[in-house]
Amino acid sequence: MLALKELLGSKLKFSLIALIIGLVVSLTMLMSAMSEGLVTGMTGAKGTLAADALVFQGDTQLALERSLLTTADMETIRRTPGVREVYGVGHAMISVEAGGEVFDARVFGLGGRFDQLPIVAGSSGPPGPGEAIVDVTAEAEGLAVGDTVPLTPIDRELKIIAFTEGRRYVMTPAFYVDMVTWADLYVASALRGEVAEDSGGSPATQSASLEGGASIAAVDLTAGTTVDDLAAELEPAFEVTTPAEAAEAGNGMPVMVLAVNAIQVVSLLIGALVIGVFFYIMTLNKTGQIAAVKALGASDGYLYRQLLLQIIVLVSAAAFIGIALALGSGSSMPPTMAFDPQVGRWLISLAAVYLMALVGSLFSLRSILSIDPATALDRAEH
Amino acid sequence: MRMLEVRNISKHYGHGRTAVRALDDVSFSLEPGQLLAVLGPSGSGKTTLLSIIAGLLHPTEGEIVLGGRPIHLRSPREAAAFRRRYVGLVFQEHHLLPYLTARENLLLVPHLSGRITGRDRTRAKSLLAEFGLEERAGHRPAMLSGGERQRVAVARALMNEPEIMLVDEPTANLDTQHGNQVLELLRAQIHARAMTCVMVTHDTRMAEQADASLRLIDGRTAPTGA
Repeated sequence: MLALKELLGSKLKFSLIALIIGLVVSLTMLMSAMSEGLVTGMTGAKGTLAADALVFQGDTQLALERSLLTTADMETIRRTPGVREVYGVGHAMISVEAGGEVFDARVFGLGGRFDQLPIVAGSSGPPGPGEAIVDVTAEAEGLAVGDTVPLTPIDRELKIIAFTEGRRYVMTPAFYVDMVTWADLYVASALRGEVAEDSGGSPATQSASLEGGASIAAVDLTAGTTVDDLAAELEPAFEVTTPAEAAEAGNGMPVMVLAVNAIQVVSLLIGALVIGVFFYIMTLNKTGQIAAVKALGASDGYLYRQLLLQIIVLVSAAAFIGIALALGSGSSMPPTMAFDPQVGRWLISLAAVYLMALVGSLFSLRSILSIDPATALDRAEH
Repeated sequence: MRMLEVRNISKHYGHGRTAVRALDDVSFSLEPGQLLAVLGPSGSGKTTLLSIIAGLLHPTEGEIVLGGRPIHLRSPREAAAFRRRYVGLVFQEHHLLPYLTARENLLLVPHLSGRITGRDRTRAKSLLAEFGLEERAGHRPAMLSGGERQRVAVARALMNEPEIMLVDEPTANLDTQHGNQVLELLRAQIHARAMTCVMVTHDTRMAEQADASLRLIDGRTAPTGA
């Protein structure tokens, strides 16, 4: 009764408190979503590859850019015990021209497994030679389904047949092509469009030599086989890992992930501290009232239950405000902005906020227990 | 209703040379329907006496007896239950909860005892009427005058039909007219309901209207008029 009556009786005060806590909640949510967005933008295309394991060339420290597997390598992997299915994944760096501007992008060749790409616009069929399914963030660069975009300076073109989502790499949109197109683009971009005299032939000849090869191999394992089993078979000639672990390797990702986690933890701690201190101060401000109610016969347990009820109502209102603000801010951000709200992470943030409010309430409980009801009568007189 | 006896109550703080004797061997007894005024300068032990009777403080020595049964050796939980059932407290600062209306402040007392019944609502309404606050029942303390607040505080103390009323400077923050009004209402209730009442006051004119008076100086009983 008292807790809710007090909330209703001081609507402005408690609305402002809920708003401030809501802003703190929103800050932790935004930090979480932007951190996740950064990781997704850096590694989405690699981390979401549909496979139990990824196999890289040996001594590449799981760097997609440095790995190249020959046809023989792919065959070795395919014949390894415990391997159920293998498809090649090619990677190349390209520059795309759109509306007079040039932006960087990444090409991913997929050995026929285009069904793993969520299509958000355009054709759902696999791309043919010279065609691409592109991450939807490329829309912000002025590209649309049906466009044929020139690649510079390699004198190639790709026709966009569909948009997918959540598939960026190193903050650039991924262009998914078939392996023949990938091999052509890989060689062309490696040679920057030039035919090197000592390169062993024309780009066409060299790309043909990549036939059956790939940058890395995506592997599905048979039941009962683990990634460690596969690694034991293939290392040290190859490096073996899961897509999730591969996503956090290379391109300075270990340091970035560490920094991102630290940002999230620090923002949560600051938020928690603010919330805990808020409730503690609220209790201190009510010392006189609490002493009087105790003098009238209220038990400590009753007063603590009222405090908890108030905290739950306030934090719930604050959580609602915080989520609404975070989602509102997120929806107003451009698609290229790193913002990827993860339900799991947000639930963890919310749980932490409730937990810290509870911890703050324990300090308040200590304060409630220490309030002497005799002070309601006492006027520094004995 | 039962007789209240205060027997040889002492309250000491600290030990040895630094010990403070807040109360020293204070005794009195009150028949039902009697109002005792406790007079004395600041620091004489008046509030300590009220706190001990209410169970908010333990006496160092002596006993408090209500109807022949000692009531002073109680745990904080038992003392709180005792206050809810048998004691009406009126503070110098009214200590009404600012977010509750006058009626809700009265209903706080049965709420703390468990739940509010229809009888409690009827009693709150009747008390507010007796104290001339019927029209102010839905107002919060901030919207009431000083006299009205103190009348609500007295009405709240009567909600649990107490056997003992403990009243701390009920008129200290009121002008003479409102002070007399509150005291008259209090006296009428005490006599009508045969409660015992201990009222701390600085005001000798208020004390003159009591059935008995007790003067404290440095924690000891002094002859009235000292």
